[in-house]
Amino acid sequence: MSKPKIAFFDFTSCEGCQLNKLNLENDLLDLLELVDIVEFREAMDDKADEYDIAFIEGSISTPTCITRIHDIRRRTKILVALGACAVQGGINAIKNQHSADWVKETVYGEDKYLFPSIPVQPISAVVKVDYEVRGCPMSTPEFLHVLKSLILNRKPEIFDHAVCVECKLKENECVLDKGMFCLGPITRAGCDAICPTFGQYCTGCRGVVSNINKNGAVEMLKQHGFSTKEALNRMKMFCTLELE
Amino acid sequence: MSSTDVKSRLESFNCYYFDKDVTQKFISFLMKKGDVIAPHKTGELSYKYEIVSDATEVVLNYSRTILPLKKAFMPPRETLINFNIKNNQYTKPQISTEPKIFFGIHSYEMQSIKRLDYSFITGLPESNYLTRRENCKFIGVAYKPDEWHFAGSVGIDINETDGFCLYFYPAKNGYIVFEITDEGKNLLDEFGEGSEVTDEYLKLNEDKFQAKIKFHHNRIPEIFTHVYNSKVWEDVAQKCVGCGTCNLLCSTCYCYDVHDEIELDVENGQRDRFWDGCMLNKFAEVAGGENFRDNLGSRNRHRLYRKFKYITNQSDKLHCVGCGRCSRYCPANISLVEIVNDLIDDYTKQQQKEIL
Ligand code: SF4
Ligand code: SF4
Repeated sequence: MSKPKIAFFDFTSCEGCQLNKLNLENDLLDLLELVDIVEFREAMDDKADEYDIAFIEGSISTPTCITRIHDIRRRTKILVALGACAVQGGINAIKNQHSADWVKETVYGEDKYLFPSIPVQPISAVVKVDYEVRGCPMSTPEFLHVLKSLILNRKPEIFDHAVCVECKLKENECVLDKGMFCLGPITRAGCDAICPTFGQYCTGCRGVVSNINKNGAVEMLKQHGFSTKEALNRMKMFCTLELE
Repeated sequence: MSSTDVKSRLESFNCYYFDKDVTQKFISFLMKKGDVIAPHKTGELSYKYEIVSDATEVVLNYSRTILPLKKAFMPPRETLINFNIKNNQYTKPQISTEPKIFFGIHSYEMQSIKRLDYSFITGLPESNYLTRRENCKFIGVAYKPDEWHFAGSVGIDINETDGFCLYFYPAKNGYIVFEITDEGKNLLDEFGEGSEVTDEYLKLNEDKFQAKIKFHHNRIPEIFTHVYNSKVWEDVAQKCVGCGTCNLLCSTCYCYDVHDEIELDVENGQRDRFWDGCMLNKFAEVAGGENFRDNLGSRNRHRLYRKFKYITNQSDKLHCVGCGRCSRYCPANISLVEIVNDLIDDYTKQQQKEIL
């Protein structure tokens, strides 16, 4: 069996997810035994025509993004979205909450006409996404799980329950209970509750669970002393599009 | 519960007085017999059951621990097998049967273990759980109910001693220690340090519960035959965010999921199991994507029916022990006692409409 050809592409993002993969130092060599990496701008110059698996980082935010992602979709068998920007629009989508003109003006000033820009969309709004790896940055163990599963022809198992579950499995003291803000009750697990475990609160980078009870979530945060406005603003930081 | 009830129940047991020092000495004595697992203060507001390494760190006047005692017999995560898919072989991790002594346990918690024993022995016996249950002793302690405990409403008194070999009851500067079983008596005989209990110390009184279910517990299963379509479930669904905390922290919930993970050699791997819960999105999802309980109303209903009806019909026992964890730790402040009381109101209204 020949090794699967995999490629990585970046769209509108900080490229942190790709760097996160390069940080896999311990596993990187083992990984290369399993796959042929045929395209990876962050790490190499080679290019290929076809891929078995394309990993996409970043969101869609310009007309060229759309052409590019269609082209990649045509050339890959499986497409995996990596990280908050690719999966749910992420931080980038905050711009959709403001008028497009104001956003361009603020970022580019008088040159705003030189940069075509469209409202931010997740990859799945434009092409079919087969699997998702969530997080900002994407969770490395989950990335490896997806990759290994695909190599073995298995369907990756991705959680659709709250970070609270992982917190409870670790018997963490609830940070909401301690008076801090936290989005753990509505944010998708898969990060092993890393932020609450280290005394931080969950910012919701992995996006909301499916079937989110949005009003219930706002009411919940109000009961803990946060205003509707603060609750919504914080919920929207990574999830503007999922909460529309 | 009046003080005479407590008295007559506890006074039938032989007892000794332990002051604080003797209590700590006793814990150290127990530590020579095996792992002692007891409540510790582990955060700003929290307690956890942990293996005792220093007797002075054990806390006996605690409200409740975050995770229930089920974690000792069914860990939140455990590896069931290690396997190799190339040569199709597997091994099972060894489970220790070394003696364990659980110290400072509340009566509802002991009763939750009895419920779990039922769940894991009935049908296909669950060997990992049952192996961990071997060689265990339980030593109870009385507690002061806070606003979330409601064990009395499900028929479990504060001073229920069933399951304990010894029972600690707070007294002036120490504890009255009751010998509940021969096992307990043997421990006290060997330890040999308790002093005689004088009337000055023997002031037994059962505290009152603040949270209460309106009906006697033997009527609760019947209520549940009438409220399947109650509007109460929709009201709960408005507030609930489906985080699953109520399942995971429940003393008697035992559902789990199993996950295979393969190493990067794509050859060796392990099969892990970890706690799951009926409040979670994928719990009732089947192949093809159909979800049999796709909304929070039906999930909350299922959660409560599992406590008060389904297993109760088979086991003749309520499978809620009134620890109050589901309500104390619910981020949306949903109280199980309030749900049950609302269902009772709904049922009563229904009944009053009926004419002979
Ligand atoms: S803990 Fe509360 S919010 Fe979370 S699933 Fe249970 S009832 Fe719903
Ligand atoms: S249903 Fe709630 S009160 Fe009853 S045993 Fe479970 S966590 Fe405790």
